Amino acid sequence: MASEDEINLLVIVVDVNPIWWGQQAQRDPQFTLSKCMDAVMVMGNAHMAMARTNKLAVIASHCQGSHFLYPSKSWSGEDGGGNDVSSSGDGKYELLSAANNLIVEEIRNIMSKIEVTGNSTDTLLAGSLAKALCYIHRLTKELEVGQEIKSRILVVKAAEDCALQYMNFMNVIFAAQKQDCLQNPATTDSQAQKEETETTNVMGDFFVFVFLY
Amino acid sequence: KEIWEPRGYELRVQLQCKNLHEYLKELSPEILDRLYNHPATCLAVYRELPSLAKNYVMRMLFLDQPLPQAAVALWVKKDSQKDHDECVSVLAGLRLWHSQQLQGGLQGYILNPVFKDNLRTALLGGGRAWADEGSTLGPDRHARDIESLDRYAMERWEIILQFMVGSPSAVSQDLAQLLVQAGLMKSEAGEAPYITSAGFQFLLLDTASQLWYFTLQYLKTAQSRGMDLVEILSFLFQLSFSSLGRDYSVEGMSESLLTFLQHLREFGLVFQRKRKSRRYYPTRLAITLAAGVASNAGFIVVETNYRIYAYTNSELQIALVALFSEMLYRFPNVVVAQLTRESVQQAIANGITAQQIIHFLRTRAHPVMLTRTPVLPPTITDQIRLWELERDRLQFTEGVLYNQFLSQADFEVLRDRAQGLGCLVWQDVAHRVMVVTPQGHSEVKRFWKQVKMHSS
Repeated sequence: MASEDEINLLVIVVDVNPIWWGQQAQRDPQFTLSKCMDAVMVMGNAHMAMARTNKLAVIASHCQGSHFLYPSKSWSGEDGGGNDVSSSGDGKYELLSAANNLIVEEIRNIMSKIEVTGNSTDTLLAGSLAKALCYIHRLTKELEVGQEIKSRILVVKAAEDCALQYMNFMNVIFAAQKQDCLQNPATTDSQAQKEETETTNVMGDFFVFVFLY
Repeated sequence: KEIWEPRGYELRVQLQCKNLHEYLKELSPEILDRLYNHPATCLAVYRELPSLAKNYVMRMLFLDQPLPQAAVALWVKKDSQKDHDECVSVLAGLRLWHSQQLQGGLQGYILNPVFKDNLRTALLGGGRAWADEGSTLGPDRHARDIESLDRYAMERWEIILQFMVGSPSAVSQDLAQLLVQAGLMKSEAGEAPYITSAGFQFLLLDTASQLWYFTLQYLKTAQSRGMDLVEILSFLFQLSFSSLGRDYSVEGMSESLLTFLQHLREFGLVFQRKRKSRRYYPTRLAITLAAGVASNAGFIVVETNYRIYAYTNSELQIALVALFSEMLYRFPNVVVAQLTRESVQQAIANGITAQQIIHFLRTRAHPVMLTRTPVLPPTITDQIRLWELERDRLQFTEGVLYNQFLSQADFEVLRDRAQGLGCLVWQDVAHRVMVVTPQGHSEVKRFWKQVKMHSS
């Protein structure tokens, strides 16, 4: 039986800026936040399905901070959480459907609780990335003897950049690089991102950025 | 599965544990296709693939058109061509994809549609539920927590192993028969079964391999019991993906599946409060079945002075350590043993190999030992192997001795004849002595009589 002691951790940071998504709904009613979350969940499912030791974390990033969608604070872990979580009732692997239900519930909570004030309309992405790095660091500390962990961050970026965030953003990227992890942005066609990708291009594959605009 | 290596007088049975893929490759294509009709099976098979093959499958999972073989070959660099070829053969052997001709006349690969649909269902949802969830039954008044499930599973599994070692324990007739059929025990007429050398080797494996070996044996006999192999296998995979601590309902399970569930209950893979209970709990053993994850913490420390310290109270574990080492002291929480030449060679005489002893020590290594690389001291592992090799210096072959030839010519004629027949074992030309295998002896003797009659 194939048993690997290597844990593969994928942290997905999703930009759920309500203003941008609201505008997006007007631009193109086909592509909404729920569609985006569905796609993100399929990506997470595919990652978890690959091996038993794969781990997933999803962080939602918005204008007032960031929030862990999965694993959430109310999630008791794999064992014994059975009775609380409703089953999928269809052919999806149980673990995946439990995770998906959690993510959906959490994002619903967040979106209903966000209050947008006029001043802060930019996504605090750097903060979410920092949270992701802290989570990775914590899991690395909690490893048992003989286990290794490999981590990656996938960033799904929606709203445009904020100039104020630039320093924080760069700091986070360099911090990740210092952990001997490399980064690799995947860009779409936007002029404004060219500079950023140039700076991050020197690095390898730790971050993967998906730009939605 | 079992390889008999005849070495003259010694017949050693080598225990070989097949893994999931090897087992599946032996099934007929129709059974395989029926098997892939269940998302749990597809997920289990997918997880066991080598990582490159997993990537290939994932890339093609959402494609409905065949992909040109040339395009797939471009996915790897030139120097990893060997890995690519291996992947191709693994995927084809399991019937996960096949070649199909594209419109342009090129050859392409396309995923097995049944497998593709069911793997998609496992990831995306939709389709039938795997099993009826226990939620329809309401909460269990006699719910079991994970600790008690673990204890139950280990208890039942140890009872089986203790039965093999020879301690008296209550094991059903069915189970005893299964052990005999698996070659792990032998039973003379009217007497209780006793363990074979394959059984010794089985005892030293880690729990996951033991489980898997046992299950494979059970599956082999399944058809003779009138059970549907596909049904049982699908249920087994489904079980391996269930959540620990959760109860599931027996709704919708056929007669043969219910019988299978009772057998699983006896092996300790599921827990059911009563035979007629409507719900069952999978135990950790069932979940490790397809995963091969070591569940028990290690408890053995091996030192470079050949001492073994086993921090355990379990009679079974102590008996297992005693199989190949000499017991020195026993304390309430630890047993001290010594690896000696005699004890190891005694174990080898019983049919255990040095590799198995080393594997046993490594898989039960105490966490303190795991921090070291290599886990076991190299002096110990080398010495165990050397003790095994010592026994192999001499090789015995049965034969019939021909000597006292009157002339060199006679000797050469007969020797050439024996060589021609392929039954010459050994010869000494100077002393005109040769040894022939027992099987070839009658033929050579006949030939010799003919020659003598000719010449005289």
